[in-house]
Amino acid sequence: MTTAEDVDKNRPSASWIAALRSRFPVEAEIDRVLTRRMERRAGPAFAPLALDTLVKGVESLIKSQHQGVFEITDARWLSGGASKLQMAFTLHWTPPGKMAQATPMVLRMEPSESIVETSRLREFQLIKAMEGVVPVPPVFWCDSLGEHLPYPALIYGFAEGVTKPAASSSGVSGLGMSLPPELRAKLVPQFVGCLAKIHTFDYRKADLSAFTEPAPGTQCAEWGINWWERVWEEDSDEDSPILRLAAGWLRRHMPTLTRPCLVHADYRTGNFLFTEHDSQITAWLDWELGRIGDPHQDLAWVTSQGFAQLDSEGRRLVCGLMTEADFFEAYEKASGIAVNPITVHWYKVYNAYMIGVLTLGTGYRIARNGKTHQDVLVTWLMGISSMILDEIRELIENAPQGGR
Amino acid sequence: MQMRPEIQIQSVLKAMTDVVLPALDPSNKLAQEQARLCMGLLVLLGQQLPLQFRFDCDELKRLVALAHTLASDVKDDACAATALASLGRLSQSAGDVLERAKADPAEVRDAVRKLRAATSAVVQAVYADPAAQSVSAVQRTVLASSQAQLLRDRSLMLMQNWEANPKAIPPIQELLA
Repeated sequence: MTTAEDVDKNRPSASWIAALRSRFPVEAEIDRVLTRRMERRAGPAFAPLALDTLVKGVESLIKSQHQGVFEITDARWLSGGASKLQMAFTLHWTPPGKMAQATPMVLRMEPSESIVETSRLREFQLIKAMEGVVPVPPVFWCDSLGEHLPYPALIYGFAEGVTKPAASSSGVSGLGMSLPPELRAKLVPQFVGCLAKIHTFDYRKADLSAFTEPAPGTQCAEWGINWWERVWEEDSDEDSPILRLAAGWLRRHMPTLTRPCLVHADYRTGNFLFTEHDSQITAWLDWELGRIGDPHQDLAWVTSQGFAQLDSEGRRLVCGLMTEADFFEAYEKASGIAVNPITVHWYKVYNAYMIGVLTLGTGYRIARNGKTHQDVLVTWLMGISSMILDEIRELIENAPQGGR
Repeated sequence: MQMRPEIQIQSVLKAMTDVVLPALDPSNKLAQEQARLCMGLLVLLGQQLPLQFRFDCDELKRLVALAHTLASDVKDDACAATALASLGRLSQSAGDVLERAKADPAEVRDAVRKLRAATSAVVQAVYADPAAQSVSAVQRTVLASSQAQLLRDRSLMLMQNWEANPKAIPPIQELLA
C-alpha cells in the first residue's frame, strides 16, 4: 500500500497517477478533472491575475460562441466562496432573437487547484438542465478546458435576491444561519418543493453528456467512495485512522440505488437566493458537485448537524428551517419517494467523509503548494476537520441496525 | 495534527503579499511599514519555531556547563557560598530537565506521522479482507482512540468558534496535563 512517505504528492509521477486511476474508478468526467489537476500539480503556484487578463479571456470565449458585436464594461472582483474566483461585469450585446441589452454577468473560474476540484462542464450542463424546473441563474457560456481563460470557467447571469436576510448573521459560506419564523414559514414549502422537483426530474431527456448514470446496485455508492478516497490519496499529508476506518465502513455497508435521480449535493440554506420583499426563492446555486445518484445523498446533506439551528423552543431545525421529522414527511409527500433512514444514515457518513477529505487533505495540499486565491481561507477551514471527523466517529458508533 | 503553524504562517504571508499589501494606500506610510513588519515577523517566526526547542536545550546545556565551571572556579571564596549553593541546586535540576528532553520535537512529529500511517494501513488491510475476523474489534478500538484524540484536536481549535457548544470541550491545557 502506497503511503505519504513513499511518494512525492507535490510532484506526482505518471505511474502513480495511473495507479490511482486504476484503483479508484469514477465517472469519466470526474476522472478527467482529477487527472488533469494531478498532471498540473508540479506546475507553478497560483499568481494574482489582472482583471484585464480575465476580460480578454471572456472576450475570446464569447467571440468563439456568439455572432455579433459586444462590449464588456464594469469588470470587478466579487468576494465570497472558498473554491472559485468570480468577476462581475456587464455585457452590452444582442442575444439571439432579442433586442440589444446590457446584461450583468459573472465569470466563475477555477484557481490553479481548488478546495473541491469539479467540472465546469458538468456545472454548466446541470444548470441548463434545471432551467424551468427549479429557479436557477441563467448560464451562457462554458470554457470547460481553459482554452480562452487561464483556467476552466463558466459565465452566468445574475439572479435577484439574497442568501440571508439583511438583519441575520452566519459563519463562513452561510453556515449556521438563523432565520426568523415568518420567513421560515414561507421558505419551507419552496425548499422542499424544489428538492422534490430536482429528484423527480427526468434527467434522461436532458443534455447531460458529462455525467454517467450508475448501474443498478451499488455502483453509485462505490463511485462516490472511490472519488473521495482517491482525493484523499492524492492530497493527504498525515494519514488518519478514522478516515481510513470510515472508507472501509462505507464500502462494507454500501446501499443499493433504487431510484437514480439528479442530486444537487450541496442543497442547503445559504445556497439559494430569495427576494426579501416576498420571500420567493429566485435561484439555486453551487451545482458543481451534482451527479446522477441517490436522493438520500441530498436528504443526508440537508439534515446534517453542521447546517442545523436551534429554534427558540430548543428544537433542532434542519438548515434552520424545520424539524427533521417534518422535513422527511414533507419531502415524501412532495416527491413520492420513500425515505430510507438506513440509507440516509449511510449518506451522512459519506458526506462527512467527503468534507473531512476536502478540509483536511485537499485544504492542506493546495495551501502548501500555494495553488489558490484563498490559501489563507482554506487553511482556516482545516480547523473544522476535527469536528467533522468526530461526527464521523459518532455516526458510525450510532449506525442503525442493518447499517452498522 | 495537520493544521500546524508552518502552513498557517505560509498562507497568511501569501494573503498579505497577493491581496493585502497591494490594496494598502501607498500614501499611508505607517500602514505600509507595519504590514511589512508583520510579514517580516511571520517569516522570522516560521524560521524560529522548528528550531526554538533545540535552541533552548542547547542554551541550557551550556548554562549547566557554565554552572559547573563557576562552582569549581569560586569554591574557595566564602563570599559566594550562598549563591553557589543555589546554583548547584538549580544546575542539578536543569541537568534532570535536559536528560528528559532528549528527543527533538521533529523526531516526535515524525514518529506520530509514521504511527498514523502504519495504523491506517492496518485498518485498510482489515477492511479490505472480506474474511477478516477482527473488523468489529478494530472498529471499536479505532473509534475509542479517535474520540480521545479528536477531543484534543477540537479543543486546540476552540478559538475558531466552530463548536456549537464550546463549553462542552475542556480547555487544551487541562487535556494535556
